[in-house]
Amino acid sequence: MSTAVGSSVKRGAAKRSVTERLGGREGLVGWSILLVLVLIAIAAPLLAPHDPETIDSARIFTGPSTAHPFGTDDLGRDVLSRVLYAFRVTLSIAVGSVLLAMLIGLPIGILAGYVGGWTDLVLMRGIDLLLAFPALLLAISLIAILGQGALVALLAIAIIYVPIMARVVRSSVLVVRGQAYVTGARARGASHWAIIKGHVLPNSIGPALVQASVLMAFAIIIEAALSFLGLGSQPPTPELGLMLAEGHNYLKQAPWVEIFPGLAIAITVLAFNLVGDGLRRSFDPHEVTR
Amino acid sequence: MVKKLSDQPQAPPLLQVQGLVKHFPVRRGVFGRGAVVHAVESVDFVVNRGEVVSLVGESGSGKTTVGRCITGMTEPTAGTIRFEGQDIAGNSRTARDSFRRRVQPVFQDPRSSLDPRWTIERTIGEPLNAYRIGNPEQRSARVRELMDMVGLPTYLAQRRPQELSGGQQQRVAIAAALALEPDLIVADEPVSALDVSVQAQILNLLSELRSRLGLALLFIAHDLSVVEHLSDRVAVMYLGRIVETGPVKEVYHRSRHPYTKALIEAIPRPDPTQVMSANRLTGEIPSPVNPPSGCRFHPRCPVAIDRCSTDDPAPTVFGMRHTAACHVAAMQFAAESHSQPAKDPR
Amino acid sequence: MTITGALLELRNVSVDYVGRNGSVSAVQDVCLSLSEGETFGLVGESGCGKTTLSMALMGLLPETAKVTGEILFRGADLTIMSESDRRELRGDQIGMVFQDPATSLDPTFSIGSQVAETLRAHRKMSRKQAKARALELLIEVGIPAAETRYTDPPHRLSGGMRQRVVIAAALANDPVLLLADEPTTALDVTIQAQILDLLAGLQKKHHTTNLLVAHDLGIVAQVCDRVAVMYAGQLVEVAPVAQLFADPQHPYTRALMDALPTATHAAGALRVIKGQVPDLADPPSGCRFKDRCPHRMAECEQLPPLAESANGSQVACWLHPATRAAAGRQPLASISLTKGGEKVV
Repeated sequence: MSTAVGSSVKRGAAKRSVTERLGGREGLVGWSILLVLVLIAIAAPLLAPHDPETIDSARIFTGPSTAHPFGTDDLGRDVLSRVLYAFRVTLSIAVGSVLLAMLIGLPIGILAGYVGGWTDLVLMRGIDLLLAFPALLLAISLIAILGQGALVALLAIAIIYVPIMARVVRSSVLVVRGQAYVTGARARGASHWAIIKGHVLPNSIGPALVQASVLMAFAIIIEAALSFLGLGSQPPTPELGLMLAEGHNYLKQAPWVEIFPGLAIAITVLAFNLVGDGLRRSFDPHEVTR
Repeated sequence: MVKKLSDQPQAPPLLQVQGLVKHFPVRRGVFGRGAVVHAVESVDFVVNRGEVVSLVGESGSGKTTVGRCITGMTEPTAGTIRFEGQDIAGNSRTARDSFRRRVQPVFQDPRSSLDPRWTIERTIGEPLNAYRIGNPEQRSARVRELMDMVGLPTYLAQRRPQELSGGQQQRVAIAAALALEPDLIVADEPVSALDVSVQAQILNLLSELRSRLGLALLFIAHDLSVVEHLSDRVAVMYLGRIVETGPVKEVYHRSRHPYTKALIEAIPRPDPTQVMSANRLTGEIPSPVNPPSGCRFHPRCPVAIDRCSTDDPAPTVFGMRHTAACHVAAMQFAAESHSQPAKDPR
Repeated sequence: MTITGALLELRNVSVDYVGRNGSVSAVQDVCLSLSEGETFGLVGESGCGKTTLSMALMGLLPETAKVTGEILFRGADLTIMSESDRRELRGDQIGMVFQDPATSLDPTFSIGSQVAETLRAHRKMSRKQAKARALELLIEVGIPAAETRYTDPPHRLSGGMRQRVVIAAALANDPVLLLADEPTTALDVTIQAQILDLLAGLQKKHHTTNLLVAHDLGIVAQVCDRVAVMYAGQLVEVAPVAQLFADPQHPYTRALMDALPTATHAAGALRVIKGQVPDLADPPSGCRFKDRCPHRMAECEQLPPLAESANGSQVACWLHPATRAAAGRQPLASISLTKGGEKVV
């Protein structure tokens, strides 16, 4: 059994195909969807058939047609154009919040896990405190202080995520720190910084990245929830959560106003989740050896 | 050639460990009152230049902790570790750093002692980078020299550990340990994760490096048959103490301590005609949190007398550098020497 | 010991792990038979297929493993048996002891209840009866103060004691076959000796047939009646234990014995087997040891059949007259099995 794995390693690990590195078929599909969505967000001004914020009282709630494939909303704005533009805000918040959370959470997790002892105890109790706070309440109180808007929503989500990130990183750092190659590197004169940079970070970043992609998916949902509550992006900004919030009042009358942003959210969340699964597979040492 | 400086009394030994003690606090919860694990309790031994000394014992004997104290992975609670006569603890940082370069560890499981994301070249070159030895070309040449020294084909330089067999992985670990040209290698169970045929290769490599480079080796192992093959001297540990030490042949064939005897008898011999002795050590190694009073081995000892549960036996000298800490053995030896005039055992 | 006939017979058993990138031939064409009452050793280095083979006997291989050939237990072919029938056999007629006592017991249940559960899984028994019997078993395997320890969770026991509990559970239903896969590898030497004694004593008392999977030739030499040596998925030699150690027939067996660090050749360098175990995802044709064998010949490209020689051992090697005769070939002019491998540093 062990050779079954052990021997094929020699060939398998030598040259992993791009598909394998991205985490197999699921990962590939996830990354592809994500790439398309990012391209859409960037090229939104070129792709959008209409201006997303132009109000046209003559075209309120027209159903999907060739001129307006996704129909128009309560103010006669083109839903397709709004969806295309909405990816900009939605993806920025999803990626931005998680990057910010990583920027803060990663050093905390590494410090706590690598140094250990009192440093760990103090940092992690602080993190626990943050974690003990209900997430949405935390976000709402932050918004109450700083005011509403997309940027504040991003900040709020990042703060919710910092403790999650720090915990994930710490636990994988703890595993790596216990490996003999870390002790060995110490004995061979490597500095702490060299060990963190060379051994600890590369070997513990995997779980953090997996977590990051899942958190990005959740960020979209949180963002949508905040917008729905009127706490996220403010009209008339085209933003998927906000569109969902607005559209839900006209669900019977003009379902397309609701359906298309909802579908866009679903696809984005799915893409992030697929990427997460792919990363998990790509970083899992058992999968690596296959 | 093996350099034997041990006969010259004026030169201090390469490594001298005296009264080494290591206690680990075990904390129960964050604010809980701790118990203490008496992992190592007053251990003395010497390793001379070019000599192979083995620390043997079962799990919980403290042998690994001794190794970790010497390689600087953990701070001893008490005692001194002298390297060429200099106390490493009392030294400045730079002196300790230079000591660290000269004592290198090799670990049991090559899979965990090599970073899976690093190429073989980077792993072997890590110590050269850490000490900024030479320029990149020189380092790369040195890595290839080291690979050659441990019998690794240089085309493996750009591979990663998981593409290598267990034996090759252990060769990489040994090459990395040799990079800084150490005087002493502390090898903790370097072959116990390997198959028999690969084990033989690594043992041969270690013994060849020892004679070629004049390396001293502190070999930490549970497998007595492996130790017997490689070592000059052996120290048997039980529950944090060295119970018997001496030249390998003496300890194996004229063991004095009942624990050493039991340990040797318990090895299943790969020869069906040599039936295992029916003498079995009963019970199990006690917890080092509450070690037994007197001789630590007395609750399991087949020959224990009353005195053993109260008096901690001091090491008795049985011959050239052969000592054992046992009341009963000392009494027997005294009786033997009494009946026949003392002879040099050699 | 009474040997009355084959309890277990393996006919041309092969196991392949089929994966996305091709398959791995873990066991190839193994023929074996175990007589009732004997202790049979299955030895080899890691990756030789010994564990895969024992898992195939138990029917515990993953879905990706494809088993061919026949595995006859008291004449019934296990490979075509329904899963529910096999489950009936496991833990009842066939008991198992695994390598790591730390993971083979459930940490959330008391040691006593785990033995009792094994009993109740196969026998109609009240809880009370099961408890009483489980306690008897714990006493039998030498758990001190078994009555008070009955309710202890596994982590309160040492490794050796846990392995005793595992053995108690394996013997609970009076199995005819006890399969022990590296039962003492995780234990210290002095504890290992205790467990080996226990297994031998229990066998004498319960008249089980023991199949011991091990890598340690010392254990095999001390415990087994007959031994099968595996290399890279192939069975290379089967012999009575005294025969195997006194006069190994296959070059691999010979080389393996020479690599052992024992006092007999403590002086010089140990003999090693040059090269490496072949990649079983792309195994060499014929004898899989040929690339490392000092006696390699052209005929090694064909798979040598395992054949019984005059002295009662079976060997699969073209050097050997028995193998040659079985394949209808002339014996070689002279064979002398020189010391195994070459000296390699």
